[in-house]
Amino acid sequence: MKRRGLLLALLLGLLPGSLKAAPSLEYAVKAAYLPKFIPFITWPDGAFAGADAPFTICLLGQDRFGGKLDQAAAGLHAGDHAVQVRHLAGPDPAANCQLIFLPAGSDPALVRGTLDAMRGRPVVTVTDSGLSVHGMISFVIESNHVRFDIDDAMAGEAGLAISSKLLGLAHAVKMRGQP
Amino acid sequence: MHWGKAAGAGLTGLVLLASPAWAQQVAAADDVEDLSIEQLANVEITSVSKAPQSLSTAAAAVYVINHDDVVRSGAISLPEMLRLAPNLEVMQTSPSRYQIAARGFNGNDADQNFPNKLLVLIDGRSVYTPLYSGVYWDMQDVLADDVERIEVVSGPGGTLWGANAVNGVVNIITRKASDTSGGVAILQPGDQYSSVALQYGGALTDTIDYRVYFKDFYQRSFNTAAGVSAHDGWSRPQAGFRLDWNGGPDLLTLSGDVYGGAEGQPTGPDEVIGGGNLTLNWQRQLAEGSSLQVLAYYDETRRNTLGAGGFNLDIYNLELQHNFRLADWNSIVWGIGDRIEQYQIANRIGTDNSLTWEPGTRTLNLANIFAEDRIRLSDSVEATIGLKAENDPYSGIALMPSGKLSWQASSTDLFWGAISRSVRSPTPFDTDVVELAGTTRFLVGDPNFKPEQVTAYEAGYRGQWFGKFTLSINAFENVYDDLKSIEPTPAAFLPLHWANTIRGDVHGVEVWGSLQATDWWQLSAGVTAQHLDLEFEPGASKILPLSQTGDDPHHQASLRSSMNLGDDVNFDADFRYVGALPDPKVPEYVELNARLGWKVSDTISLALSGYNLLHGQHLEYAGGAEIRRGVYLETRLRF
Repeated sequence: MKRRGLLLALLLGLLPGSLKAAPSLEYAVKAAYLPKFIPFITWPDGAFAGADAPFTICLLGQDRFGGKLDQAAAGLHAGDHAVQVRHLAGPDPAANCQLIFLPAGSDPALVRGTLDAMRGRPVVTVTDSGLSVHGMISFVIESNHVRFDIDDAMAGEAGLAISSKLLGLAHAVKMRGQP
Repeated sequence: MHWGKAAGAGLTGLVLLASPAWAQQVAAADDVEDLSIEQLANVEITSVSKAPQSLSTAAAAVYVINHDDVVRSGAISLPEMLRLAPNLEVMQTSPSRYQIAARGFNGNDADQNFPNKLLVLIDGRSVYTPLYSGVYWDMQDVLADDVERIEVVSGPGGTLWGANAVNGVVNIITRKASDTSGGVAILQPGDQYSSVALQYGGALTDTIDYRVYFKDFYQRSFNTAAGVSAHDGWSRPQAGFRLDWNGGPDLLTLSGDVYGGAEGQPTGPDEVIGGGNLTLNWQRQLAEGSSLQVLAYYDETRRNTLGAGGFNLDIYNLELQHNFRLADWNSIVWGIGDRIEQYQIANRIGTDNSLTWEPGTRTLNLANIFAEDRIRLSDSVEATIGLKAENDPYSGIALMPSGKLSWQASSTDLFWGAISRSVRSPTPFDTDVVELAGTTRFLVGDPNFKPEQVTAYEAGYRGQWFGKFTLSINAFENVYDDLKSIEPTPAAFLPLHWANTIRGDVHGVEVWGSLQATDWWQLSAGVTAQHLDLEFEPGASKILPLSQTGDDPHHQASLRSSMNLGDDVNFDADFRYVGALPDPKVPEYVELNARLGWKVSDTISLALSGYNLLHGQHLEYAGGAEIRRGVYLETRLRF
């Protein structure tokens, strides 16, 4: 099944751009959210390879954004770090991600494995709506609107500081110190 | 109409209608990138009416039951989910059967008047039966896990949705396959109701997601008012699938279900039901702000009771809808649709009474065309005008216009008003039925039966206060004409025949709201009050009283509490009050459903759910069985 999926994906890649998957409005909204989280989060110094290393948003598995994420991130800076988007087929320790997005439809074992591997590391894990396992930020669909939950406890473990403004915008927050 | 019952009991269910609500996405995906993080939370990602608009600006009385409400209510069936909507009357009469109405006219079983003024759609597929305009609720089911939301509109929706959207529209929207990826097994053993469900889904390719599911349940018999078993237990397996293809400007959804069931009867053999459906929904984004949709479906249903008749029904539906903008202040949606309904009815022949049809086989064709323009008059005021013309096989062309005005007084306050006309088209039960008492023609349909009509005047307010409190208030005055009645043949008296000699008005108020009391506790409440003021037209024989039109409570109220007790435990309780039914009399009652859910781990959840907890049994509708208390334990495994 996986092999056939890959083959189909390759074939679709040959089609003219207009026939490639355009994102739904839902994913356009999610793509717009991702880079906008960055200014509200403080990464510890050791999170970057160097002072001018890029800020890397990693997209794990299927790209449901249809290029929207790359578009939304283009030209952005996080402090001195230029924002770039990397598409990863699977977890890649060498990718040096600062933010990882796990899309709906991902293999639950992969999601869980990735979250476990990232636990305690200064990487913001963002999980899509529809997934049963949640990262630091998880999208939720609430009455037709894209909202997000924040697990501030998980972020705290990883040495990340999430601003109270972002916590205030969240649909639900799991605070530090909460079981 | 339930075919296994005695002649005095009825038909329930059908409608001819036209256009469904399907999710769409006209709002431009290109526009959202520049929105602030606060604004992103306000982007409406699917649609409520035919053209997407934020729910809070719809000039209609809309109550939305969302996914979490459905799952956390522990509702065991679609009608039980609908109890969550304060603007519906939901009355259970047996484990499998319900009478459901909005703003009155819930029917009178003994007078063969059945709830027939509601339009019900599942992912755009109309599920009222064209045989009598009512809904066979026992033939509709959706896994609670797969419900995205249920939009319940009280008031007419004829301009967009077509005939039968006289008093309300129930629009059930299921989740996209990508929202239900992975596997889940749900076991619900209980004292009255036990079920098992299995679902699996995932991504087939980068652009195709799928799910498949199976569900089965058994529900024990209720007792009659006399305290003996009503022998009305039932079981009903169902399986289905959904396939979503996101192919660039095209979104394609193919879905289908098959089901069967056997329902016990007080006497005689089981009533056997079955059916299947296949729905294809294709949406294409055209230029900016413009989209085209095609909905095609096939739906087959059958009910049979050995020796007591039944029917087979095939429905083929095709409709097209186009949304576009004209200048930046006009949002136009128009569409055409056609539905072919073929049925064969097997007469029920008895020694005392018989239910027969002349003819028993027909092919009906229902066509419609509609257009609606939403006009932005200023930054805060919008007018919507629309018209649908529907050609039904019995009464010809019916026009269903509407005009609506909404005023967004602030970002959190909306006032709206609407005047609309809608009709219930004649059906085979109104025109072709022949009921025999022995060999005497006792009651016959009227080939000249006219559409039942309503002109509705509505006004409402919707607001959000302090970020924690929401409130909706709707007032309505529905003016009816040509309501269904029964008249004798001049001089000979028999046969009686259906006629259109009742008119009058129904007015009322619906209020609901919610309060986010703390971050872990939400309260919601609803109240409805309505008054029916009907009369016979001059010259009517009045051989049955006005109560033949329905037996509706004057008041209903509900209170729901949803608590998150920590991250992994939640507790929900739903109280409902239903006022006394006037004629035939049914006492008022208060009941409680409650559910305690515990997420043991990422893969295992448990829940204890109980319904109708306050009484061992209670009556909801005259002639119905006593509705029993039930509890079940739910185990949910994700894999």
